[in-house]
Amino acid sequence: MASRMKRIALRPLPYLFTDWVGQLIARLFSRKLMRQFCGEVTDTFVELLLKGMDLAFCLSKGFRKNIRGFEGRYLFQTADGLIVTSATFRKGNMRVHEAAIDDWDVRVTFKDAPALNAFLFSKDQDILDSVLADDVEVDGNMNYVYKFGFMARDLSRRLGVG
Amino acid sequence: MSEITLDDLSLENVELTPRVLHLRKTYFKAVPEICIERSRLITAFSLQHDLFDHDRISTLDKARMYRFVLENRVPVVYHSKGYEEGMKPFEFSDGSLFAGSTTSKFKGVPLYPEFLALALWPELWTISKRARNPYHITDSEVKHLNSKIFPHWMENTILEYARQRSYEENFEKYGLRKHAPELKLLERLVFFLASKPNCISHTIPDFSKAIGIGLRGIIDEAKRKELETSDISRKEFYRAVSEVLEGIITYSRNLADEAQKLAEDEKDPVRKEELHDIARINRRVPESPAQTLREGLTTVWICWTAIHLENPNVGLSLGRLDQALYDLYRRERDGGTLSVEEAVELISCLWLKIGDHVPSIPDAAEQLFGGTGSNQAITMGGVDADGHDAVNDLTYIMLRATELMKLRDPNPNARYYLGVNSREYLRRLCEINMNTGAIPAIHNDRAVIKALMAKGETIEQARDYGVIGCVEPGSNGRFYGHTAAILLNLTSALELTLFNGRHRHTGLDVLISKETGDPSAFNTFEDLKTAFEEQIRWLVERTTALNNLLGKTHQDFYPTPILSSFFEGPVEKGRDLIRGGAVINSSGVAIIGLADVADSLSAIEKVVFEEKTHSFGDVLIALKKNFWGYESLRTRLMNPDKTPKYGNEDPEADATVSWIVHLLDASFGEKENYRGGKYRVGYWTMTNHAGFGRFMGATPNGRKAHENFTSGITPVSAVTPYLTKALNSVANQPAECLANGVALNMKYTPEPGDRKKMLDNFVASVEGYFDEMDGKRDGGMEVQFIITDHRTLADAVAHSDKYPELLVRVSGYTAYFKDLNPQMQKEIIDRTEYLLSSGRMVEFEPFPLPAERR
Repeated sequence: MASRMKRIALRPLPYLFTDWVGQLIARLFSRKLMRQFCGEVTDTFVELLLKGMDLAFCLSKGFRKNIRGFEGRYLFQTADGLIVTSATFRKGNMRVHEAAIDDWDVRVTFKDAPALNAFLFSKDQDILDSVLADDVEVDGNMNYVYKFGFMARDLSRRLGVG
Repeated sequence: MSEITLDDLSLENVELTPRVLHLRKTYFKAVPEICIERSRLITAFSLQHDLFDHDRISTLDKARMYRFVLENRVPVVYHSKGYEEGMKPFEFSDGSLFAGSTTSKFKGVPLYPEFLALALWPELWTISKRARNPYHITDSEVKHLNSKIFPHWMENTILEYARQRSYEENFEKYGLRKHAPELKLLERLVFFLASKPNCISHTIPDFSKAIGIGLRGIIDEAKRKELETSDISRKEFYRAVSEVLEGIITYSRNLADEAQKLAEDEKDPVRKEELHDIARINRRVPESPAQTLREGLTTVWICWTAIHLENPNVGLSLGRLDQALYDLYRRERDGGTLSVEEAVELISCLWLKIGDHVPSIPDAAEQLFGGTGSNQAITMGGVDADGHDAVNDLTYIMLRATELMKLRDPNPNARYYLGVNSREYLRRLCEINMNTGAIPAIHNDRAVIKALMAKGETIEQARDYGVIGCVEPGSNGRFYGHTAAILLNLTSALELTLFNGRHRHTGLDVLISKETGDPSAFNTFEDLKTAFEEQIRWLVERTTALNNLLGKTHQDFYPTPILSSFFEGPVEKGRDLIRGGAVINSSGVAIIGLADVADSLSAIEKVVFEEKTHSFGDVLIALKKNFWGYESLRTRLMNPDKTPKYGNEDPEADATVSWIVHLLDASFGEKENYRGGKYRVGYWTMTNHAGFGRFMGATPNGRKAHENFTSGITPVSAVTPYLTKALNSVANQPAECLANGVALNMKYTPEPGDRKKMLDNFVASVEGYFDEMDGKRDGGMEVQFIITDHRTLADAVAHSDKYPELLVRVSGYTAYFKDLNPQMQKEIIDRTEYLLSSGRMVEFEPFPLPAERR
């Protein structure tokens, strides 16, 4: 979904259909991500999550409201550097980068994909365990993580798995 | 001077009225609802006046903002809708004698985006469904917070301002492009917590002036002083005081107008009259001096709601209301216009109003603070500034309301001066504890006054102390001590000592503090103490640096004109409270894990250095293995007959506690805070002894990994078989080092067979604990109780629906047992339980650790 062409192609859809239809389409294209939400967390989780968000922003007017006027730069990486993904938000758009970015507002360094999943979607205080167990370390402005956490949970809700 | 005119001190014949019973039932039925009114109004004002772009926010800007909020918030005279468990809506009629509320909801969760409200952002869609302590929120409120409120605060929270400030300071001073290391340590959570990112709070305002001369009187004084001074910042401060007080007056008038309107439409003649009364009273006060008890209470209530608009309510406390309101009560009683029953009803209505909001706690923080209310302490009894008995009729009326209402908030605290206050009064305090199972806490005036005077307070200031938050003493209305500024996990100091500057939770390959030597190479116990002392001093440096960084950030971005208006000092000096306006300035530290650390040090001294039965290396390996394969060592470490344990009047063990207490007092006491005051140390832990315990490894006192630490200044559970010895060990500690308060948690088995004997023994135990033994010791400073046995508590874990109102003392504050997290529930069940009839410990097996922690 990172490609500019796809983005341009998908952009008119929310104006043709209701939000519900947009979410249904997003659900169809996000099966892999939905499986990960339901427990099968693999190394592709971050990438799928960010791309799923990107797709949902294109298809759902309601979800896109989350990034209206929002500017933010996120870097997600594992401590061993095997996974590095970034996301930038600007002028109502999201871009996913498969490389590190500079000048991030927040950098989230996580032990592995399940740790990040627990950090973002946890119930019953796993989020605290993640920080305490050094499974996840946050550098920068924590408020950006809170915002991202809301968007991630909003996405899972819209995909019917939240 | 004390004036007791009541025939029956227990007021046995006074019961709750149908009005109060109905309100109380509704109060327990309602789940908290998130209220966005305040957030919406301050965000709108900040946008309109470009405050988000300011490098610094002035007192006057803040004052104008709060005036805007006060004048524009909806005046709710009474509520009619709430949500019960399962988020089902219900309707009710609210007949409170007081109009207005902290939030727009019946039981609201106010949000402060300037502080930590954004931490709720990720769970807005799920917060109404979370397992523990859910909050109701509507979809439109979620959407409003997500799109219209929270985004504006992402760069503008206190913590973020502090982070940026530390970065800039580091760059300016050292050319470093990094933030303060203390912030990183704070994020690690296991070393210390700081409450400044979440609140200013933890203090007692002074209501006597508002009651006595009315807000108009304070405005006139501020205006006079504004004209007298040529200093710009003082002029600005006085203008700010006038702004906020005018806002409060308008809010009360708006309530009066609304009540008038409702009265005109009301068909029920009784209710119509009540609404007319509310309209009349709220039109008069708080602007004018109060003339009746009800007007005095309305003044307190309206000012209290205004203070909460400014500050998150975390331990904001009401002080000595039985003193501040006594003259009004007496006048009415003498004039025959108020009955005792009416006074109890008024106090009961106020008590319910005080609990009309709960703090916003994110899911993750439930582990550390779960089940907490706002910890609004109220203080009763004791002595007056001249040292005379201050217990009066109103004290007993407030105690009766406390006994009948059995509420978490306000957190009732009673002062007792042995030899000055009557024995009947102490007996009544113990009786109420037996009847409620948990309240009030009892404070020893003599020891507390000594502790406060040791920190430079005059005898009159010290005698006029009130209790703040959980148990912290502070001179009423003139002491800004932010008593919960730092919460230090003392067991982390021990951890850093045992692992040469490293911590098992952050990894033994990462140096956190400084290397103080491999303990295996220590030759004497003194070597260990020296290393521990160095680690303590390192933590003291870090925590005070962080507190001062956050305090300076408050000074730049969070002046407090409302709180300053209700304080002795700011108006006189023309300076905001957070800029040092109060008469007495300090910062408070609460220590977590005292008994576990002391017993650990004593155990090492005995086993490694005195008896040399095990090497230090062996002990360290046992700790790393959580005593797996070292069961016999663990048994020895836990046995009070083989290793000294605090709480048994063992001179060695008690001396170790005293050494730690002196060390912490000296180390923190030499530090200056950002307002030019000193740090004070106390030993109360809220739920943090369970929270921190959950994340820490095994300790040398035989405690296994993830087990709870011990609360407050209390000895470790199940190692102190005799009640008297336990009390004496605590009473032997030096009061002058405990000025930030202590919480001694005692659990007694209810003995319904002979209540009189139980009560006699109860009274005697408190007297014995408070006794200074002809100056040989200071006596214990505070004690609080749970009068519920372990079986009942265990049953309440299994069947929480059977015990919706079961009150317990945590470590300082009061909580409903059902609201506590499983780890904290276990800690309370496992507390040493004594039979007052025999003074002996009750033997029982520890409650199992929650499944996920095993």
